[in-house]
Amino acid sequence: MRLLWATLAAALLAATQPGPDFHDIGKEAGLTASFPNGGDKTKAYIIETTGSGVAFIDYDNDGYLDIFVLSGDGGTNRMYHNDRNGHFIDVTAELGLTSSGWAEGVCAGDYDNDGYTDLFVTYWGQNRLYRNVSGKRFEDVTAKAHLTEDRVRYNTGCAFLDYDGDGHLDLFVANYLKFDFATTPKAGSNPYCFYRGMPVNCGPRGLPFDTNLLYHNKGDGTFEDVSERSGIAKANGHYSLAVIAQDVNGDGRPDIYVVGDQTPASLFINQGDGTFSEEAVMRGVAFDENGRELSGMGLTSADYNGDGRIGIFRSDFSDERSLLYRNDGAGQFDDVTMAAGLGHNTRFVNWGCAFLDFDNSGWKGLVVVTGHVYPEVDRQNIDIHFRDRAILYRNTGKGTFEDISERAGPAILARHSARGLAIGDIDNDGTLEILANNQNEPPSLWKQSRPAPGHWLLLTLIGTRSNRSAIGARVTVSAGGHTQVDEVHSGGSYLSQNDLRLHFGLGSAARADSIAVRWPSGQKTVLRDVAADRVVTIAEQP
Amino acid sequence: MMLDIRAIATLLALPMLLAAASVTEQGVIAFQQGRYVEAGRLLADAVRSDPRDEHARTFLALTRAATGYCTEAMPDLTDRFQKSGNRDLARLAGLALVQCLGAQGDTAQAVTIAGQLEARYPDDADVLYEAARVHMRAFNDATHRMFDKTPASYRVNQLSGEIFETQNKFAEAAAEYRKAIEKNPRALNLHFRLGRAILLESHSPEALAKAQKEFEAELALNAEDAAAEFQIGQILDACGRRDEALGHFRKALELSPDFPEAALAVGRIQVQAKQYAEAIPLLERVVAREPRNETAHYSLMMAYRNSGQMEKARLEQEELRKLQHPPEGEFTDFLKRLGEKAPQQ
Repeated sequence: MRLLWATLAAALLAATQPGPDFHDIGKEAGLTASFPNGGDKTKAYIIETTGSGVAFIDYDNDGYLDIFVLSGDGGTNRMYHNDRNGHFIDVTAELGLTSSGWAEGVCAGDYDNDGYTDLFVTYWGQNRLYRNVSGKRFEDVTAKAHLTEDRVRYNTGCAFLDYDGDGHLDLFVANYLKFDFATTPKAGSNPYCFYRGMPVNCGPRGLPFDTNLLYHNKGDGTFEDVSERSGIAKANGHYSLAVIAQDVNGDGRPDIYVVGDQTPASLFINQGDGTFSEEAVMRGVAFDENGRELSGMGLTSADYNGDGRIGIFRSDFSDERSLLYRNDGAGQFDDVTMAAGLGHNTRFVNWGCAFLDFDNSGWKGLVVVTGHVYPEVDRQNIDIHFRDRAILYRNTGKGTFEDISERAGPAILARHSARGLAIGDIDNDGTLEILANNQNEPPSLWKQSRPAPGHWLLLTLIGTRSNRSAIGARVTVSAGGHTQVDEVHSGGSYLSQNDLRLHFGLGSAARADSIAVRWPSGQKTVLRDVAADRVVTIAEQP
Repeated sequence: MMLDIRAIATLLALPMLLAAASVTEQGVIAFQQGRYVEAGRLLADAVRSDPRDEHARTFLALTRAATGYCTEAMPDLTDRFQKSGNRDLARLAGLALVQCLGAQGDTAQAVTIAGQLEARYPDDADVLYEAARVHMRAFNDATHRMFDKTPASYRVNQLSGEIFETQNKFAEAAAEYRKAIEKNPRALNLHFRLGRAILLESHSPEALAKAQKEFEAELALNAEDAAAEFQIGQILDACGRRDEALGHFRKALELSPDFPEAALAVGRIQVQAKQYAEAIPLLERVVAREPRNETAHYSLMMAYRNSGQMEKARLEQEELRKLQHPPEGEFTDFLKRLGEKAPQQ
């Protein structure tokens, strides 16, 4: 009966409140620099198409999210400090983050457990690990940490995770393919270099596969490449992009899910002995419901239907469906895209995506940014565009989603060729903001023009026995008869990093009945009768 | 007109010459090097000195064909293709004959010879290439005749629409289908093609609604059109109206019990509803009928898995793996990969 009341209350709340109204405040907030990423009218090489990620990270522990934006060749990655008055100040140079090259993905985690969140940035070329030195500067410790690569790799998504439960964050790095400017064929030179009859840059088909990487954190500031030993490198034949590490089968150990472009996705199930078993096909997350491999770009996960199990959404290419997989709790998934009402948006190339409770209803909606890989597509005068609008879905609370893109504010309808996307609450008011990296434009920062109507909680988790960032901690919040589950993630979306804090909308409930944390160490913490509408810090018992 | 005979003949010629007379050998080498005047003289000498020299006769005919003297070449090419005991020479003669017939505008006979060639050399890339060319020519000829003789016919618009579709010009295709419907509102398949063109042209909800109307119009003309029922089911499914979609998928299957896509759609929806007792036999039938259908194997694998029959699920997974990973270099794999992200998508 309580669940019924909660559902009714949420429905009433949704019916009586106006919908979200997102505006792009990026420019007025100081995000004015443009981030180059290859050609705008034509792209000669695939490296220009994949774009770059973004991150919400509180690098100085002042309790406010800062913004990190990656750049393609010709620009620098930039860190913007949140001045708490609605402005972001470019602090790239003073933090030692000025860079060059083709930056792809970013993930955050406190790999040395010193209390400051570190950054890992992937590149076509050499990845970089930036150690956060007391929130004052970042030190490039790539070589010191033994993360120097022996050859040029096209690294893409990344995620920190503690796969062996030793309290130190390990690192997974997805690899797209083997690319170099000298040997990659020119546009139109073979059948893989055409799109809708137009010569376009070649790939990924026709270009050589590469394997993903797993680094074990030795706890002394260095990492060891365990890709072979762990079984991660056994999986070949994938053009890997986005990755998310989470416990899909409820055994308390993080597994790794990676989507691939034009290839099946991979699901590495953690065996608990330092090895992984690739089981995507049988677990139902390699393909769509037809058994067809799609072009997976981004991914996000959430307990979207309130069953306490974390499902997965993956964003795919145009003329494909982005997929929603429902988790049965034991790590077996079913493609429920059509039943969930997500089957109709097939004209977009979809990238960064996130489940987010934008109205604090207690049910997570879904945002996706889009933009085609080929600028040349605009010459075809069809309804597929290089720059296109975003998609916003409202969660109905019944396992289905409603597309509200057309009435969710001008920011959603503005056209960009976006790639990375991250969500976070930049002003700690309980209403989530959305950050997107747009090719050859300044980033977008979307904020709602009015506060989300429901109550909320923002949880900061601090590990002690577990890794300090609490990555992998699973949280169950019960409020007003509705229970939600989420997990602290590094990486995800499209090569991006969301706020590491967990946001829960509580609908009409002004208090949470309970907040239960299952830490990566196995320890449990339970808080009861917690007042809503505030940031709550929960530390693991030492 | 210069025919493309030399490239086809080059690889085969030298091994065949081991037993050939030296004048013939010189003639064939001259042919390969494109010195046709010299080749013609040498090979004619060889034939004069030994009219039974099969290599000389064949290559003389090939030389004549290559230099545009098809009329002179064709009797020998026909003879060698029909009667030569040497399989390689017969193949060369047949290929040249198809080219000559095409050059002379006798497309119908060229199609006949190409068919005979395909029957005798089913895996030969040159033969398949010539067959594709000659069929394309036959298509073009017939199209020109239709445009010439019945320009006002709805069939002209229908065919124009189909050609536009192959060129990914779906808006133009839809316009042609609309013209065809205006001319002949009772003609079958026009509304269906229009509906499909609308779907291919746009992904908008409005396009789905418009396409649905066309499929419904097709059903009004032919209530037993299983494909139209199926398309309506797909549109409703994409709109999140799965229950209604299921009705149309069932109807399509009823109308056409061997319609694999309809059976798979029904089976998958039943699996999601945990109706394994109905879904599994249906999916098993599709797999039995279409053992190379990847979607069928995947759907059955998921049905077995969800119903707890893991051993059977693993067997289906293995079948799927074999289909998705054919032996390295297999031509079907090449074709399949060509199809991915191809213009048709």
